[in-house]
Amino acid sequence: MIKPLRVLQILAVLVFCSAARAEFVVEITRGQSEAIPIAVVPFSSAQETAASFDVADLVSDDLTRSGRFNAMDRKDMLEQPHSGAAIAFDDWRRLNSDYMVVGQLSAQGSDRFNIVFELYNVLTRQRLLGYQISTNRAGLRLASHQVADMVFEKIIGVRGAFATRVAYISVLGHLPNRRYRLIVADADGDNPRIIMESNEPLMSPAWSPDGQSLAYVSFEDKLPSLYVQTLKSGERHRVSARAGVNQAPAWSPDGKKLALTLSTRDGNLDVYVLDLATQGLTRITDDPAIDTEPQWSKDGNSLYFTSDRSGGPQIYKISLTPGSKPRRLTFQGGYNARPRLSPDESQLTFVTQEDGAYRIATMDLNGRNDVQVLTKGHFDVSPSYAPNGAVIIYASRDQGRGVLAMVSSDGRVQQRLVSPEGEVQEPAWGPF
Amino acid sequence: MPGFLREYSSSVLFSMLLHGLMIAALVFSAQFSFTHHPSNLQPLPVSATVIDSQILHAAARAQEEAAARAAAQAKAAADAQAAEQAAAAAQEHATEVQKAEVVKQAADAKRVEAAKEADDAARAAQAVKAADAQRALEAKRAAEAKQAAEDKQSALAKQAADAKRVADAKRAAEERARLDREAELRRQIQDEEHVSEVEAGPLGDRYRLSLQNRITHAWIKPPSARSGIDCRVEVTQIPGGEVTNARVTQCNGDAAVRQSIENAVYRASPLPDPPDPSLFHRVFVLEFKPND
Repeated sequence: MIKPLRVLQILAVLVFCSAARAEFVVEITRGQSEAIPIAVVPFSSAQETAASFDVADLVSDDLTRSGRFNAMDRKDMLEQPHSGAAIAFDDWRRLNSDYMVVGQLSAQGSDRFNIVFELYNVLTRQRLLGYQISTNRAGLRLASHQVADMVFEKIIGVRGAFATRVAYISVLGHLPNRRYRLIVADADGDNPRIIMESNEPLMSPAWSPDGQSLAYVSFEDKLPSLYVQTLKSGERHRVSARAGVNQAPAWSPDGKKLALTLSTRDGNLDVYVLDLATQGLTRITDDPAIDTEPQWSKDGNSLYFTSDRSGGPQIYKISLTPGSKPRRLTFQGGYNARPRLSPDESQLTFVTQEDGAYRIATMDLNGRNDVQVLTKGHFDVSPSYAPNGAVIIYASRDQGRGVLAMVSSDGRVQQRLVSPEGEVQEPAWGPF
Repeated sequence: MPGFLREYSSSVLFSMLLHGLMIAALVFSAQFSFTHHPSNLQPLPVSATVIDSQILHAAARAQEEAAARAAAQAKAAADAQAAEQAAAAAQEHATEVQKAEVVKQAADAKRVEAAKEADDAARAAQAVKAADAQRALEAKRAAEAKQAAEDKQSALAKQAADAKRVADAKRAAEERARLDREAELRRQIQDEEHVSEVEAGPLGDRYRLSLQNRITHAWIKPPSARSGIDCRVEVTQIPGGEVTNARVTQCNGDAAVRQSIENAVYRASPLPDPPDPSLFHRVFVLEFKPND
């Protein structure tokens, strides 16, 4: 009868030992916010027709521009595999690439192309993605942006916004022969299409939530009026042409209303909400100061706007419940204007004045309201969030000329876009 | 012989059993044959041997002896006694098979047969002469059978002794193993006491810090790695610090967080050497708890 007791004794000792050992645990509370190294290997393409399009180059540029990735220069690639089976993981690991994209582009007919790609984690050797996209020549750019989107989402955990569009105003020529254009381009600035052209100023393009329409201000009748234009059909409606100012349109989240700025007879600007179906108008602010540049909260129950009621322009928030009083949000510096809300409403971006220069800043809406100035230009204005919140597009000046630029919403990566002709103003990033 | 017995103990047992049955059968059949054809004795044991050898080749010799003995038993009353002994011995081994009764009947039949044989011997001198010769032979065979039984007995005894010896040795080995285990546990406990002392001391702190630094620099946080995230990853390393495995065991983060954590461990490979070799853990745990 000693034996079972012995066994129990030994078991008890073992349990005690493993409990006493309690593992060796090291706690990690911080990490880096640096870009993730990735290699996008040039895609194979047997056919001459296909060879003229570089999928990998476009994917690489997209990922780098996001600020989240550092794409390896293809000159540094020792070999160029086109499928997972051909990857020598140890070599790529030595080149410090954490991930890699390999693939092939092939022509399937006169105007039919196949993109096959795979995403690998070099460190764990896991295959994370494997897809085939079929498209025509005109769709190759979009398909490549979609490849970048999928890679981005798989690694970052946030939806990619490379296959989206940007609207902006381009100004050509000099007075008195100025031409104003409303343009919609791919998110990388490529593939620009003219939506509206006028000899009189065009301003403040705003995307409808479904991405089908743009609202904008046009001076084509010599006075500012608000138009809504459907992109596909080109059909347009004048929705507000009240006496005085009609400006700064912003779509409600349900796409049924526009917040806008109107002026009273004495020229005082206030924020209103216009019901697009009924044309019913609701006054939201009533203050002798300038109240303008409204933006809707995500739930559609409040508006963020700019007001100089405290002396200089600052950002406020007001509930749409009648009789509500606005609450001031910005206190740092004497100039904070033109608020735009991040898609998850965790952050606000706006224009701030610093050392006499206009720059793009963000403020966390988590209660601490930490402000971070993201850019270093002299005239960085009109910020607009990508629909995934990762990047902010804005208007900047380069050697006296208005250009488009982007900054990651954490300020880490800044990049100038392919410069379209003319003076570029007021970019607005479209929805997914 | 004992080796042979050990190896074929079941076969031998079976053959003994079969012998018992055969003796019974022979005695029974001899009763009739003697009544009608006293001279026709020999073929029966031969045919019995053939069957026997077909079943058990290894015990063929023992079977022959037994067969011959059975034939002689049918001839003489004195032999009948010896046969009875043999039958009794066979019966002893056959108890588990329900043949005891058959054997007993066979013995009775033999006794009756022996009486008839005595009458025959008195009447026929030829038969007496033949019986004498047979008796001499049978006596020899009986002695041999007895010897065989004795051998078997001693073999069994030896087998039992061997078994005991083996059991004793096994017990001793188990005891030694147990003592070894206990000694090993004591040693481990002492080692761990030493290790936990070192781990809790400045060297442990230094090692922890160097691991922390290495991993912190290798961890590229995804946007979803915010405060409230708590993930544990089990790290396996080999001496020299090369990471051979990183496995997230528990994590409230999304796939991007899990992946970033695994990658951080691999990126940090090789991990720093501990300042004291006793601090090296082949498997340890990293707990990721971002504080912003």
